[in-house]
Amino acid sequence: MDYIPITDIERNEMLKRIGISSIDELVKEFKPALKRKLNLSIPKSEFEIMRHMQDLAKKNIILKYFVGAGSYNHYIPSAVNHLLMRGEFSTGYTPYQAEMNQGTLQAIYEFQSFICLLTGMDVANASLYDGASALSEAALLSSSHNGRKRVFVQEGLHPQYFEVLKTYCDGADLELTNEIDDKTACVITQNPDFYGNIENPWELSERAHKVGALFITCVVEPTSLALLKAPASYGTDIVVGEGQSFGIPISFGGPYLGFIAVKDFLLKKIPGRICGMTTDSKGNEGFVLTFQAREQHIRRERATSNITTNQGLMALAATIYLALMGRSGLTTAAKLSYSRAHLLHDKLKNIGFEPLNKKPFYNEFLLRAPKPSDEIISILSEKGILGGLELGDDKILICCTETNTIQDIESYVSIIGETL
Amino acid sequence: MKLIFEYDEQNSGHLSDEDISITLPKDLTRTNLPLPNVSEIEVIRHYTNLSKKNFGVDVGFYPLGSCTMKYNPKINEDVARLEGFRDLHPFSPMDCIQGSLQLMWELEQQLKEITGMDVFSLQPAAGAQGELLGIMISKAYFKERNEKRTKAIIPDSAHGTNPATAAMCKHDTIVIPSDSRGNMDLQKFKQSLSSDVAVVMLTNPNTLGLFEENILDICDLAHKNGTLTYCDGANMNALFGITRPGDQGFDMIHLNLHKSFSTPHGGGGPGAGVLGVKSFLSDYLPTPRVVKQESKYILNNTKGKSVGRIRSFYGNFGMLVRAYSYILAWGTNIRKVSEYAVLNANYLLTLLKDVYELPYDRTCAHEFVISSKKFGEKSALNIAKRLMDYGFHPPTVYFPLIVNEALMIEPTETESKETLDKFALTLRVISDEIKENPELVRGAPYTTPIGRLDEVTAARKPNLRWIHPPKKS
Repeated sequence: MDYIPITDIERNEMLKRIGISSIDELVKEFKPALKRKLNLSIPKSEFEIMRHMQDLAKKNIILKYFVGAGSYNHYIPSAVNHLLMRGEFSTGYTPYQAEMNQGTLQAIYEFQSFICLLTGMDVANASLYDGASALSEAALLSSSHNGRKRVFVQEGLHPQYFEVLKTYCDGADLELTNEIDDKTACVITQNPDFYGNIENPWELSERAHKVGALFITCVVEPTSLALLKAPASYGTDIVVGEGQSFGIPISFGGPYLGFIAVKDFLLKKIPGRICGMTTDSKGNEGFVLTFQAREQHIRRERATSNITTNQGLMALAATIYLALMGRSGLTTAAKLSYSRAHLLHDKLKNIGFEPLNKKPFYNEFLLRAPKPSDEIISILSEKGILGGLELGDDKILICCTETNTIQDIESYVSIIGETL
Repeated sequence: MKLIFEYDEQNSGHLSDEDISITLPKDLTRTNLPLPNVSEIEVIRHYTNLSKKNFGVDVGFYPLGSCTMKYNPKINEDVARLEGFRDLHPFSPMDCIQGSLQLMWELEQQLKEITGMDVFSLQPAAGAQGELLGIMISKAYFKERNEKRTKAIIPDSAHGTNPATAAMCKHDTIVIPSDSRGNMDLQKFKQSLSSDVAVVMLTNPNTLGLFEENILDICDLAHKNGTLTYCDGANMNALFGITRPGDQGFDMIHLNLHKSFSTPHGGGGPGAGVLGVKSFLSDYLPTPRVVKQESKYILNNTKGKSVGRIRSFYGNFGMLVRAYSYILAWGTNIRKVSEYAVLNANYLLTLLKDVYELPYDRTCAHEFVISSKKFGEKSALNIAKRLMDYGFHPPTVYFPLIVNEALMIEPTETESKETLDKFALTLRVISDEIKENPELVRGAPYTTPIGRLDEVTAARKPNLRWIHPPKKS
């Protein structure tokens, strides 16, 4: 395919107007010149591309997923994709020119509002890359707020989030610590945690505040917020998380949607874009990017973060998803996820799996298998089911959403039951 | 337009949750979920109407300099949504993800060939995250060698992300001014190369749209000083098949797949900011890495010297699919992309340079910067706003910072001569309007859904979210 609309005759006219005779003259100072053609495949037609991509896609095998662990297979209403595909949204960029981008800007404002309604916080931004980097940005924010260099992480954080946090902390000369004291910049907890446990971390947040540290709650499965207390209610200063559950396909791990929301007093420290409502000269309400003096394109080396391009279209997907689901739909999806997970949990317990959650759980839970977990996972996968995530020592982390039907749950249990 | 929260309570059409019981302790659960219920048809209308107040490449010419707003082929949207990619869980077993791993491996080979680098990480989610990874790698590299290097050299024309990234890794920035030809000043660069300089970060072609004429010397001098060279690859669209950053002497480069490789910009992402390095730095790249073993692909999790993970899972995979598909379309012809990007930019520049000032009178690369200084203060802003009335998205304005009243124009290769002619004519008409009827231009735009917005009030009296109005008694 060729996506250049200029004919050879036009090209020659353009060269003539510039006052040269070939394109080579324009690029002669690009050094060192490559003296050969790039070694790529021969150009493909659109039909050939589609064939090739279909063949590749077919080499992936889609299973029935009973695994979450940071990537949740919720149902996505058809309308989400139809709206996302509108080129007015998908082919625009960061709305620097507010008058021409009121659509994107209002959607960001609505996204920020949805995140605040769900978390109970005062200010949310336009998005960050993913939950893990959002958590890392929150740690950097904390350190810049109170000048401290130590980060405490409560057990139960998603291991990949921990890895990303460590990478960012190494880069920024912050230290991960096991103690909460007057050197602690922030205290981090994931809720529900990686194993599905739900907590009311009020005590932990009090411990953080007593020593002057910020308290950060990380939400990896945000549909839980339909049922659970808003993180602001237990003293959270910064909520970060992953918004993938809100209308974004699991898509082999990305693109996803990081979010961050803070209490008012941290507004000027928040990374990334923020949209605000204001008026034009005639008093009409409209939206602009605001507090840009925090950002890299103005503040450069003194910016709150280096982030610029974020996950705009994914934030729009989440906004549309939340609008379509509404209070009723989101509550139903969350309750179904909860009840399916508990159904499977109880059925597996009955056939000899050992429950390992000491606390209430939402839609993920940890069991110890009555026989080697790799055998169980492989038996299920032969029948088209991904039965969970193995965590070693025959422990399996299992997840349900509203897309795991009762029939699927029964066949999961009976396939395993037959082998015990 | 009203907010999604301001509709009357409607039947949202979802099945009732009444017979689903949950038994969670009261101290963990909320009593009230304060979200609206809106019907599907109203949601569709709401966001369709919002989209009509928006502007994208699909709507019209979008010459936003430094952002490469080229056409995004629709086929790439379809292939990214193929079930085998869209519905694949990242924790699937290795034999279920062979298609994705093959795609990632092949994309890496393509990017290596295009840039002249030895190894790529596809993990970073955007250019700025690629940069951050690059500087983390530089930091880890010098730490391993027991060298204390904490400075980054950055030219004054650089993107704001470069100094912001250096600061995130606790590096001090040394800013080098540009010389009279728009290059980084070579003498000043030499003087700044002390033993504590870790890295020099350059955009090439630079943000003035000019190829760094001393690039080979710069990389050579840096290396002789033990300093690493980092290329901000935001402007790769000028270079396909013509010259390769790896051959210019760069040790690292990030590419913005949403720019040069045509994945849609999405109103501010998602992008993908893949990082390429020379082999001596490959051990520092994040894990896991895709490895080909005979006809199989595996994920290698060996940590070794790796700086660690920078993103969960494998990066913005859906964007990798689109970029890969774009490279397949062009294949060995990909040089034509850059040739026409450069042709279009130089043609447009030729049509404008007698009316607008050209701060550096050179052949440009894929974009150029002109100044409207002679039309007075705020003229670049006013011209930008007036362009909207003629149906164009404005160029980038007031960047790079070293040019007064800067208009940074990047037409890209996917625009027709007809569009370029019309745009040039419009900019000439506006220059006449400024002289004959300055008030007209100062008051623009007139045809957009809303006029110029009060940004000062937006910052002084922040209204950043919808708040439930108090119930009427």
